[in-house]
Amino acid sequence: MRPSRPERGSARSRRCLRALPAAPLAALLLVSGCGGSSKSSAGTQASHGPKVTVLARSVPGVGQVLVTSSGYTLYMFQPDDRRTVTCTGVCTGTWPPLMLPSGGVAVAGPGIKSSLLGSDPDPAGGRVITYDGWPLYTYTGDVQPGQATGQGIDLNGGEWYVLRPSGAPLIPAP
Amino acid sequence: MTSAEPRNHRRVGRRAFLVGGGGLAAGAAGAGTAAWALTRPAPTAPDPAPAGVLPPDDDLMREHGVLKRLLLCYREMIRRVQAGGPLSAPDLHDAALIIHDYIEGFHEGLEEGYVFPRLRAAGQLTDIVTTLLVQHARGRVITQFLLAQASPAGVARAAARTRLAAAMQAFDRMYEPHEAREDTVVFPAFRQIVPAAELTDLGQHFAELERQQFGTDEFTAMVARVAGIEQALGIYDLSQFTPEVSGYAPS
Repeated sequence: MRPSRPERGSARSRRCLRALPAAPLAALLLVSGCGGSSKSSAGTQASHGPKVTVLARSVPGVGQVLVTSSGYTLYMFQPDDRRTVTCTGVCTGTWPPLMLPSGGVAVAGPGIKSSLLGSDPDPAGGRVITYDGWPLYTYTGDVQPGQATGQGIDLNGGEWYVLRPSGAPLIPAP
Repeated sequence: MTSAEPRNHRRVGRRAFLVGGGGLAAGAAGAGTAAWALTRPAPTAPDPAPAGVLPPDDDLMREHGVLKRLLLCYREMIRRVQAGGPLSAPDLHDAALIIHDYIEGFHEGLEEGYVFPRLRAAGQLTDIVTTLLVQHARGRVITQFLLAQASPAGVARAAARTRLAAAMQAFDRMYEPHEAREDTVVFPAFRQIVPAAELTDLGQHFAELERQQFGTDEFTAMVARVAGIEQALGIYDLSQFTPEVSGYAPS
């Protein structure tokens, strides 16, 4: 069963924040336009499809990091290992992936290198936007823009970190 | 490792205990047909849930029961520290790990993925939901701290034990009203806005998600673990909590 997502961010970003891929996809995806893409990249900015912008912004406590167009902090999941989307099932209730809309594109906003944007297939369908190979997720604990409460959290089988515009995760020294 | 795989052997689930093989098969089928439930009107007579599959709110409340028992374990550990006694690192670690894996990594994911978004979309309890999400995040920080410190060296010094007790106290103080509010306000509101047929499908889907994450036939093992912590702390025997009432007896 497909849940709806928390209301936050722009309409575009909201409809592309996917939850719980183990659930049936059809209803929400049909509504949201976030269906699977056959593209292996994030698409081109010349596309006329829906756009999802990733940008860099300074967030208190972590500095300059990747955020959504609405200002919600984006995270990487260590088990993804820059290769594949491994946050599936219940995990996505807490960490909604940033989905690439069907026929859409990921757009590099200020501070972001467009060459690092891409996408990976989601086991539940569709594609998750990546940056330097890292699938991108938001965190439900960030209840407003400009927070990074998920930084360094160990949950759902691995650790979660914000990403610098260079693509490097902000992993504290041991 | 994917999140659907057990993180370690200590992760636990209870669904197979409740559902059994037939229920699991029905749950998988239900998950595959649930999309229509989001758009169709509620039927007047929903299909009955397969035997043993709980409605989603009942399911979440049972998980709250597990959390409640673990909070009682925390409370006993706090009491011992405040009385100048020792703090058992293995007991603390085991309790915090169940909370980490089962409550924070699974139960709260269900709430965040299925319950809270529906309430927000319906414009109901939005402020409460925001508070609950913040509390989930704060609880995870506390649990991560407890797990990191729950070692013989971590509990050796009195100052460290006092800090751990304060962390457990903060966690307990937050989650007592948190889960009570969910049980009495949030889940009933959720049940009100979700059509009956969809609730049935959702219960089946929760069962399937739990099977995926924790495997089968692990509920009894998890309950045994919680009981083991209670026994180690001397709070397992329920009768010890029965008060004397001779002073209150009617004259």
